[in-house]
Amino acid sequence: MTKKLIGWLVVMVAFIAIMLLANVLLGPDADKLQGVYWIVFTAIAVVILIVLYLISADNKAWEVGTRQVVYMAIGAALYGVFNWIFNTIPMPSVSQVALRPSVCIPIFFGYVFGPVVGFFTGAVGNIIGDFLTGWGVYPAWDIANGFMGLIPGLVLLFADKKRSLNFLTIVFGVLTLGVAALIFINPKVVGPWTGEIEDFSFWAWAFLIGGAVVIAGRFVLERINEDLAAVNIWGSLGIILGIGYAALADIWINGYSLATALIGEFAPAAGPNILNAMILVPILLGAYQAVQARIGR
Amino acid sequence: MLIAWKYRERNTVIQRLDPRARLIFMLSVLVSVIQFWDLRIILGFLTVALGQYFLAKLTWRETRRPWLLMGCIIVFLTFLTFLTGRGGVGTAYHEEHLLARLGPLSLPIVGWSFTLDVTAEKTVFAISQMVRMFAITAIAITIPYTIDPSLYGVTFRGLGLPDKFAYAMDLAFRYVPTLGRDFSITLDAQRARGYEVEKLSGGIISQIRKLAPLLVPVTINAIVGAEDVIDAMDLRCFGIGPRTWVRELKYGRADRALIVVSVLIFAASTATSIMGYGRLWVPGFVLAWAGG
Repeated sequence: MTKKLIGWLVVMVAFIAIMLLANVLLGPDADKLQGVYWIVFTAIAVVILIVLYLISADNKAWEVGTRQVVYMAIGAALYGVFNWIFNTIPMPSVSQVALRPSVCIPIFFGYVFGPVVGFFTGAVGNIIGDFLTGWGVYPAWDIANGFMGLIPGLVLLFADKKRSLNFLTIVFGVLTLGVAALIFINPKVVGPWTGEIEDFSFWAWAFLIGGAVVIAGRFVLERINEDLAAVNIWGSLGIILGIGYAALADIWINGYSLATALIGEFAPAAGPNILNAMILVPILLGAYQAVQARIGR
Repeated sequence: MLIAWKYRERNTVIQRLDPRARLIFMLSVLVSVIQFWDLRIILGFLTVALGQYFLAKLTWRETRRPWLLMGCIIVFLTFLTFLTGRGGVGTAYHEEHLLARLGPLSLPIVGWSFTLDVTAEKTVFAISQMVRMFAITAIAITIPYTIDPSLYGVTFRGLGLPDKFAYAMDLAFRYVPTLGRDFSITLDAQRARGYEVEKLSGGIISQIRKLAPLLVPVTINAIVGAEDVIDAMDLRCFGIGPRTWVRELKYGRADRALIVVSVLIFAASTATSIMGYGRLWVPGFVLAWAGG
């Protein structure tokens, strides 16, 4: 199995190396490979996942036994059915926040049953939902939904949830500070709407304040239940990275501008998803823990 | 609640093809079309995609809803890219020829004012972008209507997915009607208690929270029920050896030809793209209109 994975890894790395080499050989015109960037982008994501797996291959989080196979199937079927139902039943919505409760399913299954179950639930569940509604197959969005389930499942790589929370808080803090610092260093860039040079230092402050609120929220929730704090932070990270991946991929696939990808796709999808997940996943987790305590499995 | 797959048997040329060959073809066209901004090439891909759609004998009546929805999304996002104007700059084109200048326009609420330069390149890029997205949609939309869901497990096994994952996929498709029925029973039970999903009141947090009585019982019930399935599978030594499948897939001559065509399309597209062909093409008359 490991040999097979290493083989795949070598193929992927070779593929990327060839693309980069071709880019260099073809001269300074970097846009010559513009069309195949997305393939490289996806390949890089796959390589990251494989490397992540290889460095933690001994961890039980990656095990796929009968239990995982059945939960993968149930998770995917639930996500698909909920996606279809909540798209079919006329649901109320407030402002731009759509009621999309199904998003809690991949996050919950990933967090409880591991990254493989989470990824499968998100990716295959999205395919099933699209099949039921007849919308077709969109690989980037299927992978993105997979990430939404996989990332919360990475919590199982840590023996101690508190350590995972500490690690994640540090990562989150460093990322926030890094982004804010980047904006402060170079606050004047081309505005997406006006096309003129604008000062974006406001967003650095927004990042700093938002980051501080999230980190403070982690400590407040942790006092109630460690799992609630963990699932919310891991779930939010999963949504941001998952939807972010799909939105960025669409810059190459559909030719969106960065502004369109952020305003038209990322924000309307990630924002409501995080809100839906932050409310429903803890309820689901609480109910599951109660049942688990009762049946003893 | 009736969970109805969009698939139905049509006995068409497309449906007689092996689903593995068809998925390979779909992925090949998808990763090929995204390598081009030349409207003439993209129109070629759109023709191929629509050819598949019509050969599958899909009707407007049955695909109307997804077409309308995807159409709205495509038009909206293309317009947004056109408005922001940065989609193709620096990638698909580097210089612009002005057709018209609109503005200064002001955005409501935020009050930002901006001038919209309608250029030849930006306009053609928006049209190419829209055609490309419709081509991707046309190639993707055909799949759920024409591939039997019960073949998905064996199809992905045939494409190299490990047995356990292929089986999980097969099982997931089989679970759908059961979970749909469970949801329906739960919805009826909650309605009998006065719960109205169509009339949730309160703020956004309260509304989301009120969906829990639908979501939680169905999910937890499925998880509890899964324990019996796991026991049954363990007792039958699931996962010990390689699996066999009730329905076998075999490549025919037409399937092999389709796979060869798919590989050729991808190879030719990648080579063409790397050689620098297939970039944004602006028709001469548009440039002439812009005075270029």
